[in-house]
This record gives sequence, C-alpha cells and structure tokens, in this order.
Amino acid sequence: MSNYRVARMTLSGRVALIIFAAALLGICAMPWWASQGLIRDVVTLACYIAVAQMWNMLAGYGGVVSVGQQSFVGVAAYAMFVLAQTFGVNPFLAVFLSLIAPAILAVPIYGLLHRLEGAYFAIGTWVVAEALRLIATNMPMLNGGAGMSLRVMTQFSAHERAVASSLLAAALLLVTLGGSYLLLRSRYGIALTAMRDNPIAAASQGVDVGRLKLLIFIATAVGTGFAGAVYFMAQLRITPPSAFDANWANLAIFIVMVGGIGSLEGVIIGAVIYFFADRWFGEYGASYLIVLGLLTLTCALYFRGGIWGMWSKWVEAPWFPTRRRLIRLEGEKA
Amino acid sequence: MHWIDGIVQGVLLGGLYAQYALGMALMFGVMKIVNVTHGDLVVLLALIGISLANVAGLGPWAVLATLVPIGAALGWLLQRALLNRVVGDDPLPSLIATFGLSIALQNAMLVIWSADTRSLSGGGIQQASIALGPIFVGVLPLIVLICATVLTGGLDAVMRYTRFGRSLRAASADVEAAAMVGVNPRNVYAAATAIAVGILGFAATFQAMRSTVAPADGPFQLIYAFEAVIIGGLGSIWGAFAGAMILGISQAIGFRISPGFGILAGHLVFLAVLAIRPQGIFQRKA
Repeated sequence: MSNYRVARMTLSGRVALIIFAAALLGICAMPWWASQGLIRDVVTLACYIAVAQMWNMLAGYGGVVSVGQQSFVGVAAYAMFVLAQTFGVNPFLAVFLSLIAPAILAVPIYGLLHRLEGAYFAIGTWVVAEALRLIATNMPMLNGGAGMSLRVMTQFSAHERAVASSLLAAALLLVTLGGSYLLLRSRYGIALTAMRDNPIAAASQGVDVGRLKLLIFIATAVGTGFAGAVYFMAQLRITPPSAFDANWANLAIFIVMVGGIGSLEGVIIGAVIYFFADRWFGEYGASYLIVLGLLTLTCALYFRGGIWGMWSKWVEAPWFPTRRRLIRLEGEKA
Repeated sequence: MHWIDGIVQGVLLGGLYAQYALGMALMFGVMKIVNVTHGDLVVLLALIGISLANVAGLGPWAVLATLVPIGAALGWLLQRALLNRVVGDDPLPSLIATFGLSIALQNAMLVIWSADTRSLSGGGIQQASIALGPIFVGVLPLIVLICATVLTGGLDAVMRYTRFGRSLRAASADVEAAAMVGVNPRNVYAAATAIAVGILGFAATFQAMRSTVAPADGPFQLIYAFEAVIIGGLGSIWGAFAGAMILGISQAIGFRISPGFGILAGHLVFLAVLAIRPQGIFQRKA
C-alpha cells in the first residue's frame, strides 16, 4: 500500500535536458554554421568541462583528491599520436583506441597510491604525472623532449577536420556530462553520494567502498584521457611539458571549486567563467593567475559550495536533478 | 670509485632534502595536512634572502640568521590566518586552499622577482672542498649535511623531552583529549608550522647558495620533500631524514647513469618503496 512515489525529474530538469540535447545537436552541426575560430573555442571549452567534471566526480563524489590528472591527459594524447602518426591508424579511430591507455594505467597508479592517506594521495598523483613527463621526455619513440606533430591530418580537408572536431566535442560532452548524470541517477549514484558523506557508514550499508573508488578512478581517468586526445588532436602538436602540464589540474580545481563542487551545474558555470577569464585576462599572465589562485583559496575557505551552492540556496531549480524526493499521492489518506 | 663518489654526493644532496622534509613530516605528524606551498615558501625565503644580500649587503650567515625568524613568522601567520580554518578529517579543504595559495604565491613572486634564476653569493665557500681519501667533498654541502643532522636531532629531542614536544605529540594523538588536559590546539598547530617554515629558512639559504632559485621551482621542492617523507615513513622525524638520504642517493646515481634520468630515478625509487613497503622503510607498524 504505497502512498508515495519517488520523483527525481523536475520541470527545470526537463527544460535543461532539452537545452542540453539542442546544444549537442548544435555542436554536431557546427561545420555548417560556425567559423573555424568558434569551432576551436567550443572544442577547448568542451575539454575544460570534461576534465573538470571528471575531477568533480573524483573529488566531489568519490572523495578521492588528485592533483595529477594531467597524467591521463598526456598518456591518452600520446597514445593517440603514436597510433595515428607512427602506426598509421585512422586518427579519429585512434582517439577512441587511445582511451585504453589511461584505463590500463589507472589501475597500477591507484594500486600504489591508495596506500597513502587523503592529502598524501593527492601529492602522490602529482609525482606520477612528473614521472610520466620525464619518461616521455626520455623516450625516443615519442621523439623525446622535441615532441610530435600530427602530420597525418593533412590528408583530410579542412571541412572534414571540422566535422570530426565537432562530433568529437559533442561526444566528449555526452560521455562526461551525460554519463556522470546517468551514473548519479542510478543506484551507483546513491552509493557514491553515501560514500562521499561517510565512507564507514556507506560500507556498513553494503557499499564496497574500495572497489567503487577504484572504478571511479578508472572511469574518470578514461574521461580525462578522452579530453586530452580530443584537445591535442585539435592542437596537432604535442610535447611532454604541454601534455603533462600541471595547468590541467589547476584549471580543473579552479572550475570545480568556483563553480561548485559536487554538482554538474557548477562545472558548466565554472568552465564558462574560466574560459572567458582566460580569454579576456590571460594576457595579464602572472597577475591573472594570482587572482585565480586566490579565488580558489577563497572558495575552499569560505564558499565550499561555490557559485552553484550559493545560487541553489535561493532558487531550487536544478538543471541536472539527481536528488530523490518523496511525493505523497493524491486521493489517499496518509 | 665512480659509484662510491655518487653515493657520497647523494648523501650530501640528501642533507638539503632533509631540510625540506623535516617541516613536512612535522606538520603531517601533528595535523595530518599537507601544505602545498611548502616548496614555494623555500623559494620565497630564498628570494627574500638574495634581495637582502643585494640591498643590505648581508653575508650568507647573516641572511640565514634573518631568514629563519622570517620563516617562523610566515609559518605562524599561515597557520593562524589560513590553515587553522581547514584542519580536520577532510583532506580536501586544506589541500585546495594551499593549492590555490601556491599558484598565487608563485605568480606573485614572478611579478616581484621576474622569472630569472638567482643565487646567493657565499663569499668563496661554494668553491672550497676537502679531500676524503680519493673523493673530494664540497665544504658547503658538508655544512648543509651537518646542519641537517643537528636540526633533525634537535627537533627529535624537542619532541621527546620538552613540555612543548609533549603537547605536540598529545595534539597529534588525539586533539580533543589534548584540549581537555589544557593543550590549546590552535597554539600548538601555529607553533608546529612556525618551526616547519623556520627550518625552511635554513633550506632556502643553502639552496640559494648551492644552486639557483626561480619562482617556478617550488613544486619540485614540494615533491622532493614529500618523497623523502614517504620513503622514510610517515610522521617520523629520523625517518624523513633517512628518506631524504635515500632520495639524494637515488638521484645522484641516476644522474651518473644518464643526465636525463636523475630526477626520474628518485621518482621511481619512491614508487618502488610504495609498492614494496608502503608504511615507509623506517616505520615498524603499518
């Protein structure tokens, strides 16, 4: 005799879903309406959103803090370059094949580092990223410190490349944002949220905390690697310092902390802010980065929920509702 | 002889790393937090020291005597203004807060001192060396190693035998119980960070004398300190010292195998220790 039903979808969620789908279709159709410059900007923004959302899943839901996600950016991007440039695999196929590399690498990294406590785990991921950068610098197969160019791309016309970039950007957003949304709505989402709030209590409720953390680490490694492969395919050039650039961790952390940790909406807001800040103030170099650093610090100290956290205190209209609400059915006595 | 020389130079390099690592071991032992600005503070202090030497004409030992109290004051301020707000079970806030501060600090130093590499003149001591049998040992690295040993022994003795050391260990073991018996955690934490950053005053002076510093160097110093602490075993003072020696030797031998392999050899030894003995080499229990 259930007098209640569980609701997750809200009106704002439905509207947002339609906008999200329309935006993805618009991105797919970019070669027919957008300029080359705009396509490149959208690809870059999609990579920022993807890397930040993967960090958000890891830190905001998985409770695993990493400052070395550039490991996966670099490894997937290099795998794509080697497959396409050295072995002649079709570059667009190579993007997807290259995702095997971060998946395989994530297992030993997690296996080694999970022995370290919270904050030390994070610094450990940084050491791994540094080690990978140095290994890439010393590897003749990757042309060492001089880096590689994706010369095979010249076999495609500009229009073909634009179509591929647009489709890849749309796929990247669909997998990282859409995938996270579906995951958070599923029973794994409940397990993740429980684990974030209290790992011991979650374990006592039957959540296999260790296994779930490993799985989320691998999944976010693949998502981060996907962004890396797409980003460096658009760049056409890769060097060890750019592939394993600590700035990937910086931007992910800035976007998530300022936008709002533990929410998909916050990542989109933060990524858009970062994208335009970088565009407008990037020329100020050091002074701009001082402000960025201090903003991250301020959010960690005083505004733990970021912009989305403050906004949702006033307006209850989630774009990606994951919360379950109990609704009493009409016409029956409670 | 080539390899013995490598080991000796590695131990001497380890003396410098020990000075980075001591403060980190102390802070993690007492508060369970990692201060991401650890390496940036070394660079900041070194740059302040170099400017003092240039502007006020201070000699290297006067610079050292000035940087240690400046470091202690910076550490106290850092803990009071920032870290005391984020100490707790959740590692995220302290990590992210100091991560943001680290980016701001690096770029602020870039604005003030530009990206140039600088060093501190030691008045001829950098070139001096003595012969130990067939191996030549630099006088400055030897002073650094002796200084690191004395600092480690001194810090260990303070932790073991003084009233202050007892309050540090009490706050480390159970902060609420310590508060009940009259230890003010905020004061203890501020003192611990003041000591940690004060020791970095030594590291900064010697780093600037031995080689060069530039505003972007901080993350490397942070990573070396971290590797030394983990190799030695968490929260143990002499462990951090020994970890620094192992890291120094790994890098020195790596550099002799191939110049591109030195730093990487240190990282690989760190990862190997994690794989084989995750509790650290000098820690008995897991």
